[in-house]
Amino acid sequence: MRWLTLYARSRQVPASAAAITLVALALWALGQGGGHGPGLNVALLVLTANVAAASIGLGGPDEALERTAAIRWPLRRAAHVLLGGAVAGAALLAVRAAGPDLAPAAFVVRDGAGLIGLAALGAVLCGAPFAWTLPTGWLGYTLLAPVAPGVVGQVGSWMLYSPATTASAATAWALLAAGTVLYAVAGPRR
Amino acid sequence: MNARVLGIELKRSVAPWPGVVVLGGSVAILFLIDGIWWRGTAGWTAQWTPMALWTRSWLAYWWPLAAGAGAVYGLRDSRSRMTELLATTPLPAWRRAAAPAGAMALALVTGFGLVVLVGAVRVALGPTGHLTSLGWLPISLVAALALVAAAVFGMGAARALPSVLTPPALVMLLLLAELLLRQDNEGLLPSGTAPNRLALLSPAVAEPRELLLTLSGSVHLGQALWLLGLLATGLGLLSAATRRARLLAAAPVLAGAALALLILPADPRGSYVVDRAAAALVCDGPVCVTQAHRSQLAALAPRAEEALRLLHDALGDGAPASVREETALRALADDRQLAGDVLLVDFEDPLVVGASGDGLTRVLVAQGLAPNCAPRTPWEGGGLVDVPVQSIVASWALGDHRLEPLRQPDPGEYGQRAWARAQAAWQQLTALPPAEQRARIARAHAAALSCQDGLAALTGEASS
Repeated sequence: MRWLTLYARSRQVPASAAAITLVALALWALGQGGGHGPGLNVALLVLTANVAAASIGLGGPDEALERTAAIRWPLRRAAHVLLGGAVAGAALLAVRAAGPDLAPAAFVVRDGAGLIGLAALGAVLCGAPFAWTLPTGWLGYTLLAPVAPGVVGQVGSWMLYSPATTASAATAWALLAAGTVLYAVAGPRR
Repeated sequence: MNARVLGIELKRSVAPWPGVVVLGGSVAILFLIDGIWWRGTAGWTAQWTPMALWTRSWLAYWWPLAAGAGAVYGLRDSRSRMTELLATTPLPAWRRAAAPAGAMALALVTGFGLVVLVGAVRVALGPTGHLTSLGWLPISLVAALALVAAAVFGMGAARALPSVLTPPALVMLLLLAELLLRQDNEGLLPSGTAPNRLALLSPAVAEPRELLLTLSGSVHLGQALWLLGLLATGLGLLSAATRRARLLAAAPVLAGAALALLILPADPRGSYVVDRAAAALVCDGPVCVTQAHRSQLAALAPRAEEALRLLHDALGDGAPASVREETALRALADDRQLAGDVLLVDFEDPLVVGASGDGLTRVLVAQGLAPNCAPRTPWEGGGLVDVPVQSIVASWALGDHRLEPLRQPDPGEYGQRAWARAQAAWQQLTALPPAEQRARIARAHAAALSCQDGLAALTGEASS
């Protein structure tokens, strides 16, 4: 238990949790107003914001020192990524249960999985403080660039397609798998 | 000395990257995707104003990105745990802030400027490259100012709130704002769901669809004031050392926003205006085009006069007497505003654009006899259903022995069936006595002008 507490503190979990709670509260408060805005896009933004908030914890204060510890890091790192994604998605699902219905649950699960995978990839490639750049960048592309035709579009704009679309779902789960495995093996960039 | 510091910043920091991303991203979107920005008279390389508006429309993405990159850059001191050390240097805070802020501004302006330059070169080398006015320049200048202001504001915000969460929070907030304030081009004038004044605080514009529309002066002024306020607040936050200075630094952006909200027009009619210089008519006899399409007049005028003569033969006194470029603004998919006495030429129509020589005469005759009510542009394809009847009336007026299609019929089943129907109507029409043929053509003309089924009028069926 003590280990978990210390680990959570070194991963800035309180800050991440506060940010995710704040986003959820804001969404809930705005949703009460009864505004029927662009639901799916707002859901994607909220999900990405949650993932970005969770992603700052993908690295500790001293990576080099931590690596010297006789601890099985890969398992713990993989668990961290999956747990982060679960919390990011669950926060949105909780708001959905309490009020505004922005997106179906299967959609939230698929996109949450893909986005947290991207964040883990970002942590491996750019370091934990910049891990948010990959999910945010892909979100920006999805929201603003026109959807290309065919499978290219289904892969490029995977966040927008229905979870039943094979190519989009495969992209999301491949991102989650690649991100989790790479992060578990390599850890955040030093 | 300062130039050297600036050079070191550019070489040794992340400052050039936002500029590189803006340049590379814009060029990749524009050139790798065969999007609608390549088509029509409001395409991004067709004219100066659409070029400026298209390059600026991507700001919906680059604006949050610039702010996020600025915030990442602004966190540099606290990330390397040097804030206290740097605070002890005798150099005033604003002078320490000037080098990184200047480096990032330089990179962003260069990156965005190169995108505009690529567009400008393509427009200038194109057929409509003559410059009617410099009215497009403020559009791009405000866009560049917006990028710089966002980056510097991001730096200042990160200095005031040195947390890893600041950059993503800033990006997310601005992306959300862009999403809520976004304007679309489907209405008569670009508009969105947010109140117009508020929507104009976002520097991104709707994708241009109408060539003659441009932003009004009050929009430029209001946006420039608000963005200058944002820039001043960013600089203030960057150089503030005390809590009181940080609070004071918020004043410029509030003042800028308040002033901007006073100046910005409350109605889309105030924010988008018709560019008078581009819309002025240039005439050659009865044939008139806008200044923007002056280069087309030489090819159009002789063909248009021939078409008017043929139309007079076919319709008598009811024939159109002049040819004019279509300039009326329309909401997307609205009917064209047709008139019996004027032949309207729409340079967005792929049939008009693709035609030359005798083919152009044929298209113009078709437009005079049976104009399509539903517009044919890159944005809307409704008028293609009128191609069969237009082919028939043009072939008839030109005295062809067999029916010539204005556009190759689609190989699909639907296209083939429509073409077979047109052939049958042609056989039916040409079998009639000449006087009856003329009456049928006149009836088809009247039906087309009142947006009814021209083919039915031609074959004598009761028009639906």
